[in-house]
Amino acid sequence: MKTLRRKITEDPFLGLLLVAPLLIWVLITLIYPLLYASQLGFYNVRYVGVPARFIGVSNYSRILGDPDFWKACLRSLIWTVCNVAFQVLGSLLVALVLNQQFRGRTIIRNWIILPWVLPTVVLAIMWTWILDPTHGVVNYLLKSGGLVPSPLRFLSSSQWVMPTVIFINVWRWTPYFAIIVLAALQTIPKELMEAALVDGASTLRRFWHITLPTIKPVLSVVTLISFLWSINIFDTIWLLTRGGPLDFTTTLPIYIYKRAFQDFRFSEAAAMSVIMFLFLLGFAVAYLRTLFREGAEG
Amino acid sequence: MKHLKPIAKYLSVIAVISFFAAPMYWVFICSFKPTPELLSLKPTFVPHSFTLEHYRRLFKQVDFLRYYYNSFLVASSTALITALAATFAAYSVYRCRYPGRRFMFRLFLVSYIFPKILVLIPLYILFARLGILDSPLALVAAHVTLTAPFSVWILRAFFESVPREVEEAALVDGATRIQIIFRIFIPLAAPGVAAVGINAFLMSWSEYLFASTLVISDQFKTLPVGMAYFLQQYAIEWGIMMAGSVLIALPPIIGFAIAGKYFIQGLTAGSIK
Repeated sequence: MKTLRRKITEDPFLGLLLVAPLLIWVLITLIYPLLYASQLGFYNVRYVGVPARFIGVSNYSRILGDPDFWKACLRSLIWTVCNVAFQVLGSLLVALVLNQQFRGRTIIRNWIILPWVLPTVVLAIMWTWILDPTHGVVNYLLKSGGLVPSPLRFLSSSQWVMPTVIFINVWRWTPYFAIIVLAALQTIPKELMEAALVDGASTLRRFWHITLPTIKPVLSVVTLISFLWSINIFDTIWLLTRGGPLDFTTTLPIYIYKRAFQDFRFSEAAAMSVIMFLFLLGFAVAYLRTLFREGAEG
Repeated sequence: MKHLKPIAKYLSVIAVISFFAAPMYWVFICSFKPTPELLSLKPTFVPHSFTLEHYRRLFKQVDFLRYYYNSFLVASSTALITALAATFAAYSVYRCRYPGRRFMFRLFLVSYIFPKILVLIPLYILFARLGILDSPLALVAAHVTLTAPFSVWILRAFFESVPREVEEAALVDGATRIQIIFRIFIPLAAPGVAAVGINAFLMSWSEYLFASTLVISDQFKTLPVGMAYFLQQYAIEWGIMMAGSVLIALPPIIGFAIAGKYFIQGLTAGSIK
């Protein structure tokens, strides 16, 4: 039997043959772009087809001296930290609610992810309509409840736009992560909870001493995924606000896009995207290292 | 105190459901309201009258069917290629032994981190040089990049659930490796392959950044790009937008109804391990 298993698993030719299509695809559409963008950063490319001129690190030095770049970074920081915090806490809350025994919970658990299934453009149309200052139902409810004297311009006023777009993105992604957290909650042994209940542990104590330690690894993974996906989000912000009003929602991906496709500064945009990638790679590696170290100790 | 508990339980469940369902319910009913009721300053929470006028106007004023066709073409091609490439790659990474296997897996995992915008600029220039910019082909190529590496990860739990003994038995009976993959392995891991296909379809159907830059001419535009244009108009035709939203959301919802269970299985199994 042992030789048979070896025969199955050790066929390097077949293994490489099967992985080849995706590997080649990834090399062309991810690794080549990464190398090309890194190279592009040292050249001055304004228009496609016009020969590029080598200009050394001056793209990079211009970027680091560009106040708009740093403002975009700051907005990305606010955007990402808020998104991660609310998505992780929100998904934990939603998962705890759906982990209770109630009728129809299998159906609800499967369909709660629906906001994530909606195409981004539908998400944008939906919330632009709901939050519209004149016809929007939210402003109608706020006004008839006497909460605001005049309609709030959620997506077009400088102080409301960022919280609003964050809220919309959190609304969309919370169910997605809640599904994952929910599955983790179900791995908690029933006997453990019952024993704690017999010992008279309060709900809060049970949550703190049993639930949280059990799902902590999953929460860490969710936090990392939420971080990586939030910081890279382009579509949702762009379709809702185009980075406006007055750049108030211009996060780093939006700023890079504008530099490339509105100002036609391809090299600068490429250099910025490489900086962003290196930051994300460093962050992910450092995060996973700490995670594994903690896992090894605990 | 004791009888308060079930009430609190159901209240919390209802609150969660309403929070996520209410906005979708709102758009759905608004798409059937006649314009005066739709734009009335006192919105009606249960529609007073019913009309299909917005759906009629959507097909008359927007080239909706063409966008729909384009999106369908791109999304199903992406789903098909992703399912095939990811299944082969996953079989290789999880079931074969060869030098560099771990590196492969890590490479696919790193694709998580790539900012879409980083990939976009070089791909845009590359496709322009290859002369395939502004074609559905360029879009499919870019979308597979977004979906396939992640799919290898989703497939992990499904592939590991297929017992090795099944494969070994088939090998004893004289089946070739390729036969084993197609006749035994893929049918057993079918839910996973379905989940991966549906996920790729959803991503591609919804994707905007690549779709709006790699495709320029109107005849190849996909739904998100076609509809986003109308969102930017000074006077938004809300009725048409509501009807369009319902129709754009429909295929993903149907797809999810069919294979959503497996997608959730793959998603949760992959993360918890």
